[in-house]
Amino acid sequence: MSTATGDGTGGGTGERPGAASRAARGAGAVAMDLLRKSWFVILILVVWWAVSATGLVDPYKLPAPGDVLSTLGTLFTDRALLDDLGATLLRLVEGWAIGVVAGVLLGILTGGSRFLEDGIRPVIAGLQAVPTIAFLPLAILWFGFNGTAVLAITAFGTFKPMALATYGAMHQISPTLMMAGKALGARGLFMQRTLIFPAIVPALVTGLKMGWSFAWRALMAAEIVVTGAAGLGGVLELGREIGAIDVVMAVILVILVVGIVTEQLFFTRLERWVNQRWGLVGAR
Amino acid sequence: MEQPALRVIDACKTYDRSDHAALLPTSFEVARGEFVSLVGPSGCGKSTLLGMIAGLLTPDEGSIEALGKPVTGPGDGRAIVFQDAALFPWLTVFHNVEYGLRAHKVPKAERRERVENALRLVHLDHVADKHPYELSGGMRQRASIARALVMEPEILLMDEPFSALDAQTRTILSDELQRIWLETRPAVVFVTHNLIEAAFLSDTVHLLSSGPGRIVKTYPIDIPRPRDEADPALLEIRHDMLERLRAEVDDAAERRAQVAEVSAL
Repeated sequence: MSTATGDGTGGGTGERPGAASRAARGAGAVAMDLLRKSWFVILILVVWWAVSATGLVDPYKLPAPGDVLSTLGTLFTDRALLDDLGATLLRLVEGWAIGVVAGVLLGILTGGSRFLEDGIRPVIAGLQAVPTIAFLPLAILWFGFNGTAVLAITAFGTFKPMALATYGAMHQISPTLMMAGKALGARGLFMQRTLIFPAIVPALVTGLKMGWSFAWRALMAAEIVVTGAAGLGGVLELGREIGAIDVVMAVILVILVVGIVTEQLFFTRLERWVNQRWGLVGAR
Repeated sequence: MEQPALRVIDACKTYDRSDHAALLPTSFEVARGEFVSLVGPSGCGKSTLLGMIAGLLTPDEGSIEALGKPVTGPGDGRAIVFQDAALFPWLTVFHNVEYGLRAHKVPKAERRERVENALRLVHLDHVADKHPYELSGGMRQRASIARALVMEPEILLMDEPFSALDAQTRTILSDELQRIWLETRPAVVFVTHNLIEAAFLSDTVHLLSSGPGRIVKTYPIDIPRPRDEADPALLEIRHDMLERLRAEVDDAAERRAQVAEVSAL
């Protein structure tokens, strides 16, 4: 389990110039920076466009980039995709939140006891070795062929890594901090709420991000199977059924953008804020 | 006779898997309002002894009584200041100092007043809303002292509180501690490897030696307060303590190392 300083994903750590230095650099430099990070994406688009323009590949297998874009536009303007996107995001946030709360609670309440942790932790680690989607048939039998089963799978997919991250984080709390808390009279629930929980927050933020990506994967897989409920996965599967490859690719683009946006807008900011607040950057 | 604040009765600790030094059966008393230092080189068991008094370690044999009651755990009239301040990084200075009062369910209005008083006492009222990472090492240690004092402890335990600070800050804080102690008068057990700091602050200094740890000599310090660290009488006591440590340690190499450690300060 990584410590709170870790970031590593997205390669953004070393490239966050302050507002002042960003303003100081010219627009040309900004454009260069953008180009340096996006040249490969542009290359992919150009090759894609070129290959489909030659007409060598059946457009039912590979539609032109422009067609995918215009399909995306149509899907959004007639609001159908927007509703599906909303349903998926709502389910994602709900499932993720349930999984986070359950995982962290279980970790904190049982991580303080050697007996409980030694019994429970290996079971969760074992379950984590099973891809969450393998539990979908079970969830369908329990909750029905509907959104609830999908939600349960999403929550479960988040719960496992969150509980494990919480156990890991609790082992890294400074013993002096625990002693200071005990000496000041902190006990039981008060200690878990005011000392243990805040002490593991920086490590948990890393776990949250991981939980989110597990939730996202479990959700997409489940939605593709359980097509009755609204959701992006259902649209993907529908696109496959009617052979509308432009729809399939448009939805994949949407999924990609959602991932990048949450990562950059939410988790990166959250991580930065926590690291600053917990004194992990700056003075040491 | 008045009951002492603290009574250590034949407390001992053999070497265990943790990094606490071994300690032979040791006894001493701390009167109410008395300032006592435990001083000696690394491995003399002074921190082990303090940990037992704090209730964070259990003596293998013997017992410790605080305010007439056997020590079974931390708290209970004893507050502790750690070497690395051990402030909660997610809380402001104010809320750090308030923490123990919250744990003891002190009403909010009273908490506020007591925290403000404690912060004034250590001259930190102007940084109450700052987080620990925004403070210097000296300020963090002041906050840590305020966090202990706000509990109005009858016994204040300090585990090398100034050893991570630079020399000037250490001298200033040592002076400050003298003033604070004169204002609040708890019984203090102060652990340090700095001989002059121990002599300057204390009514009584227990000199410990290692291999295994034990008290080798006790020095009453009768110099009136407020004192000055440059007082020749203190330097004389320090000289005597150094001589005593030299005589105690048989092994020549170990002697050199230990004497070098304590005279460096």
